[in-house]
Amino acid sequence: MSRLWRFFRTPEAIAGALILALLVAMAVAAPLIFPGDPQAIAGPALLPPFQDWSLPLGTDRLGRDVTAELFHGARTSLAVGLAAAAAALFIGAVVGTLAGFAGGLVDEVLMRVTDAFQTVPSFLLALAFVSIVGPSLGVVVGAIALGAWTGPARVARAEVLSIRERDYVAGARVIGMYPLEIAFREVLPNALPPVLALSSVIVAAAILTEAALSFLGLGDPNRVTWGGMIAEGRAVLRTAPFLSIVPGIALVLTVLGVYLAGEGVVESSAVRRSLS
Amino acid sequence: MSEFTISRRGLLSGSALLLASTALPTIGRAQTPKKGGRLIVAADSEPRDLNPAIVASNGVFFISSKIVETLAEASFDGKDGLDPRLALSWEGAADGLSVTFKLRDGVKWHDGKPFTAADVAFSALQIWKPLQNLGRTVFKDLSTVDTPDDLTAIFKFAKPTPFQLIRNALPALSSVVPKHVYENGKIEDNPANNAPVGTGPFKFAEYKAGQYYRLARNDDYWSKDEPYLDEIVYQVLPDRTSAAAALEAEEIQLAAFSAVPLADLDRISKVPGLKVVTKGYEGLTYQLVVEINHRRKELADLKVRQAIAHAIDKDFVVKTIFLGYAATATGPVPKNDPQFYTADVPAYPFDVAKANELLDEAGYKRADDGKRFSLRLLPAPYFNETKQFGDYLRQALAAIGIDAKIVNNDSAAHIKAVYTDHAFDLAVGPPVFRGDPAISTTILVQSGIPDGVPFSNQGGYKNAELDALIAKASETLDTAARTELYREFQKKVAADLPLINVAEWSFISVARDTVGNIANNPRWAVSNWADTYLES
Repeated sequence: MSRLWRFFRTPEAIAGALILALLVAMAVAAPLIFPGDPQAIAGPALLPPFQDWSLPLGTDRLGRDVTAELFHGARTSLAVGLAAAAAALFIGAVVGTLAGFAGGLVDEVLMRVTDAFQTVPSFLLALAFVSIVGPSLGVVVGAIALGAWTGPARVARAEVLSIRERDYVAGARVIGMYPLEIAFREVLPNALPPVLALSSVIVAAAILTEAALSFLGLGDPNRVTWGGMIAEGRAVLRTAPFLSIVPGIALVLTVLGVYLAGEGVVESSAVRRSLS
Repeated sequence: MSEFTISRRGLLSGSALLLASTALPTIGRAQTPKKGGRLIVAADSEPRDLNPAIVASNGVFFISSKIVETLAEASFDGKDGLDPRLALSWEGAADGLSVTFKLRDGVKWHDGKPFTAADVAFSALQIWKPLQNLGRTVFKDLSTVDTPDDLTAIFKFAKPTPFQLIRNALPALSSVVPKHVYENGKIEDNPANNAPVGTGPFKFAEYKAGQYYRLARNDDYWSKDEPYLDEIVYQVLPDRTSAAAALEAEEIQLAAFSAVPLADLDRISKVPGLKVVTKGYEGLTYQLVVEINHRRKELADLKVRQAIAHAIDKDFVVKTIFLGYAATATGPVPKNDPQFYTADVPAYPFDVAKANELLDEAGYKRADDGKRFSLRLLPAPYFNETKQFGDYLRQALAAIGIDAKIVNNDSAAHIKAVYTDHAFDLAVGPPVFRGDPAISTTILVQSGIPDGVPFSNQGGYKNAELDALIAKASETLDTAARTELYREFQKKVAADLPLINVAEWSFISVARDTVGNIANNPRWAVSNWADTYLES
């Protein structure tokens, strides 16, 4: 409880949490408020916002309901952000733990592979991956994770390097535990907190990358995505700017919310650490 | 030549009279074109190969038609819809085995050498027939070109070839390139393909990748006093939204081929100093077509194809996707074609209930989730409108219980997926109608075309009756009989739906008011612009 209280002490964290809560509510409520296909044609094309209260945010080039698309787009953004971050953290933690704990040749090889991935800009990597494999939600998640796992891997390795010299690790060795068992049951759980602190940055980056991929036409075409909405609005930017602005604001707020909440988590755990 | 400008506001406002008066041919003629000046034009793509004799496509013509000329150009009021260019006259023999061209005297290549019948013979036999994307079909029976003198070229055909077809093919397929430049070495690798040498009003000057193409005035042009412009610069602006901004900022003076998005036209037509011109593309009609893979068992059923045709609201497509700058289609020949079009074909009015009925009859009942079956839908990525129609079609199919999954590809991958791998169920394509169904339209339904030929029937459709009709029309010499066969062709295609024609559209130019003599022929954007001028 005290940790929660500490989290909500900073106004940034409260703002971040509120935005995230709203986003989750949107994502969860989307199929309830807007049942059926969000891409169905609902009214006249290019209806500006606040004209017709059954279509509060207006309609796009084909007459699709922007509000419905926005809500369903929240689902995609959130799903991709969380799934990509989870995948990146998982790969990163495993690779980092193996490299740090094994040392020697294994460490060298794994870290050079990490270097190789880090030298390629992650967005280019995602772009190349999606354009070769073909756009679908799973591929997009994989592509983003592919460029995002190197950070967690490095942090995990650094933590493992210091933890593996601790007495309890030596003790585990003495009682005859297998090295892999020690690595993943004794070392990894203790190395995890600083790695998890990266998650907010990764989720925010993943949401942005997904939007950028969709903007370039490499998102899943059968799902509503905010990036795809912005891209479609771009052709009519001068005549119907709201089509790009509305999903743009949603995207900015989401990334801001994830980032602020992440900061709050880091701050509260830092306070706890300094207190303990 | 008259000049018609269309600006909806302009026609309504007080300036309507003024606008209308400039549209009167007499007054238009009285205005003497000014000489000199540099015309800056928006270019949205950068073709690598600029040889129009090999790559007969609008992207190439847009630049190279000013440099390399054809035997004749399309015309609003000329005989047979043609205006002479390098050829002064053309005459077909009654047996369909030869066509005689009389060529223009005193024409010089940009390098100073004289233009002769040998150049025409070389271009026809060595390039149009074996290498050109469209010429391969039209000139397939061309056996020799006799040149009794320097100004006569007689095309000899092994099999009777309709003169009407050759005539209709002249504007797009007959770019003449110099024999002395191309006769040595491999034609495809000739450096002149990237820096063309021609007889046209403008010479190729320079190309900076990603920036611009520059063409300079040909002082030795055969039409004295022309061209009026000193220079044409094609400013590369791949981003469509930037063309409108560049026009308003007076950085460019002309954006052709709908470089300004349709949704922006209403706004831009109100900007003082700019005009929106819808004429000048009558000979370049694009067709919005749903290509069908008949290998899919469901789609091989005529009832399912009819159901899909009934599910598409063509008026909605024209109004919403093309914002009215298009026409609904009835069949494989566009409505604006003066020679072949017939409206007397089976029609498929928008009727969702009927479509559902047809699908039920065909035995594809809705499952518990309301879906009958799933399809892959591949919209061609070349135009905003084809992509948007893909989105619309998905919704239209959802309304009749067909679950379409959109698969997006880039241009190269789309062509491979549809025309080589046949990895599609439905595709949205924009084929071009080029003034004669035999040039690029019958190939869309004819069977027996090898895999990998783009913009052809790759849907596995086979109809012996239609194939026979196409074969018969290709060797029918009498114009009236040939036209009648193509009317029959339209009826059969509309009845059996090897593909579904949805709409026909053309392009829009936006120009500054100072640009004169624009849109004065049906292929204006890809014609030679010799009489285009700039008022200072």
